[in-house]
Amino acid sequence: MGTYIVGGILVILILAIIRKLYKDKKSGKGCGGNCAGCKGNCPH
Amino acid sequence: MEKKEGKWKGDKDVIIMDLPGIYSLSPYTLEEVVARNYLIEERPDAILNIVDGSNLERNLYLTTQLTELGIPVVVAINMMDVVAKNGDMIQTERLAKELGCPVYSISALKGTGIQEAAQAVVAAAAKHATVPQHSFAPSVEEALSDILAKLPNNIPQELKRFYAIKCFERDEKIPIALRTAPGIEEIIANTEKELDDDSESIITNERYTYIGQIIQHCYQKKNKGGLTTSDKIDQIVTNRWLALPIFAIVMYIVYYISVTTIGTYVTDWTNDGLFGDGFYLFGNGRAAYEEANEAYTLETQKIDAFLAEATAEGIDISTAESDPIAFAAEAAQVTASVTITAEDESTQILPVTIQDYEIALQAEEPAVEDFGTWIPGIPVIVGNVLEKLQVADWLQGLILDGIIGGVGAVLGFVPQMLVLFIFLAFLEGCGYMARIAFIMDRIFRKFGLSGKSFIPMLIGTGCGVPGVMASRTIENDRDRKMTIMTTTFIPCGAKLPIIALIAGALFSGASWVAPSAYFVGIAAIIISGIILKKTKMFAGDPAPFVMELPAYHLPTIGSILRSMWERGSSFIKKAGTIILLSTIVIWFLSNFGFTENGFGMVDDLSNGLLANIGSAVAWIFAPLGWGEWQSAVAAVTGLVAKENVVGTFGVLFGFAEVAEDGMEYWATLSAFFTPAAAYSFLVFNLLCAPCSAAIGAIKREMNSAKWTWFAIGYQTLFAYLVSFCVYQIGSVISGDVGFGFGTILAILIICGGIYMMIRPEQKQKVLQAKVTA
Repeated sequence: MGTYIVGGILVILILAIIRKLYKDKKSGKGCGGNCAGCKGNCPH
Repeated sequence: MEKKEGKWKGDKDVIIMDLPGIYSLSPYTLEEVVARNYLIEERPDAILNIVDGSNLERNLYLTTQLTELGIPVVVAINMMDVVAKNGDMIQTERLAKELGCPVYSISALKGTGIQEAAQAVVAAAAKHATVPQHSFAPSVEEALSDILAKLPNNIPQELKRFYAIKCFERDEKIPIALRTAPGIEEIIANTEKELDDDSESIITNERYTYIGQIIQHCYQKKNKGGLTTSDKIDQIVTNRWLALPIFAIVMYIVYYISVTTIGTYVTDWTNDGLFGDGFYLFGNGRAAYEEANEAYTLETQKIDAFLAEATAEGIDISTAESDPIAFAAEAAQVTASVTITAEDESTQILPVTIQDYEIALQAEEPAVEDFGTWIPGIPVIVGNVLEKLQVADWLQGLILDGIIGGVGAVLGFVPQMLVLFIFLAFLEGCGYMARIAFIMDRIFRKFGLSGKSFIPMLIGTGCGVPGVMASRTIENDRDRKMTIMTTTFIPCGAKLPIIALIAGALFSGASWVAPSAYFVGIAAIIISGIILKKTKMFAGDPAPFVMELPAYHLPTIGSILRSMWERGSSFIKKAGTIILLSTIVIWFLSNFGFTENGFGMVDDLSNGLLANIGSAVAWIFAPLGWGEWQSAVAAVTGLVAKENVVGTFGVLFGFAEVAEDGMEYWATLSAFFTPAAAYSFLVFNLLCAPCSAAIGAIKREMNSAKWTWFAIGYQTLFAYLVSFCVYQIGSVISGDVGFGFGTILAILIICGGIYMMIRPEQKQKVLQAKVTA
């Protein structure tokens, strides 16, 4: 049972990280305001 | 180079955009392109132009351009504390009148005047745009009027003068329709002929003439023509002969404290305590525990020595546990010895009799909890929880060895980096960092790098991660990218065990091996700098080294800590996302593979997928002299952490635990490699793609997957070619192989490298700027 609980938490954590990375990239936050990445053409 | 967005605490509806520091709106650098694009396209409600009061003349150049944009401008004169300290005076009211916009005195260091300036710019946003008060010489104004008349009607009225001036300057970044409008070139040429100067210089001179008049009216210098305190310090610090020795001393101190002393202490605490077994609260009890543990270790050594001696004398030691009385009787005459080495390296030999052996058997291993407040490390706490939850072994391995081990190893660098960043923030804040770049620029420029590139490389000798991160102080995009690509060529601390291994096993500990590794690293940086500078990506005239040398001043603790946190926090955030995911993948590849029972977890890492990958790619390294799968696997695991290389050889050669320099298997390795192949292996591991943590730092700093792949691809290809030449030429010189196809290929590669270094520069890739009317 412990394996399923911990494994489930880990899967949720991994999915959350992937989701956050994807969302950041999609919203342009992936650049962190660093203009070198997009030559200042991003909306930030 | 960054632009940052924030909200004003006084009014959450007010969004502040901090643009890169620039000196003009002429798009020569990426910073200027970014700032100009934003101002023209986004049209902010107001501009707060923060200028350096201690260097007013140069800073007002941008102000004169900003007032032409048709946006309300408020000028905040910073560093007024320094101005006052110098006994100078700036008449802000008079300056406001001359510029046609409100002017406020502020001191970011002391925190004075900032709120007033912020309130003023919010108020200005609701008012009319600033109208420039200056006018150029009559002939220039006449030319501008003529150009204005020829500009298309779709240009906003408030931007017409700006574009007219840019047309006059032949600015290549404004829309082509404006530049090529009929009759404009003729107007410019006529004015140039009349004033006997090029149009851009005419405008520059006009602006500085106007600024000169302003300065004359508004700036009273106490010590006119005399040297300020900063000037006097600079006479020593940037002196032709003293600059480099002073710089070396400063850097030695920074490096010594951040990497060798405090940095190492906190990093060791993080690795061994927080992400290790645990630590004593405030260190209380550690000394007592270490003493007790030392005594216990001595007793165990006595037991081992006695049993070894008994075995040597033909006594069956298997009865030692099952029938201790019989064993004692049989071994009564045995006397072994234990050698103790004191702190001063002096040795003492202790005899071990059966009585000593029996006393030693009574010794109990000291428990860490008995000596102070013991805080268990994260792996211990998590391990206990997982044990209690009866989590499967493989999942425990993934969490403890994979995630906590991997992320912990990366986070272990954080304290060292934070200490380093404190020093860097101080050097930046006090104004010395600008001088370092100035001092080194003349040397580094010769091989295509910026003066600012030296600092990351210096830091990279300790660890590539903070080295790569330190490159963010380089504003110029091309210089920064090239620095990131070359910084990890310098051998970091983690590569030293590889150097020690190869030097010990193949070259009898020859003293030239370690210095040669640093020489290879420095040569790789120089050669790469020259070669890359001649490619289209990095080609062109070096970006003008424009750097303001601010007056020396003591930065506040708050600003230092803020700077440190801004630099360090992003790395911590990255460790919790990208690096965490990477460690999971690497752990999976290492621990899972195909066995007799199908796909599953493997007991021996050499059966894992990572080892299989190493075996599959081993042939690639055959031309480098080390095409055996063990070497390939060692090199591959080096991509996770360079320390792994020595340990991996140990595992693959059948040694469970090895010393840092792997001396246990030197003999095996010496039969495994020829000297040329061994040096080729060393060179490849020094120059190829760095460890995953450094690759993560490269990704963070490049902020582009494409550039990250290009960087590690270049490093690996460069390493491959150099290693190939080392092996092929080295084998011929040492007589291992005769002159053959490989040798010819190596010579051709060397010739190709020389050609790449001496060939003419490629055409500069023009910075792209999107400016629409």
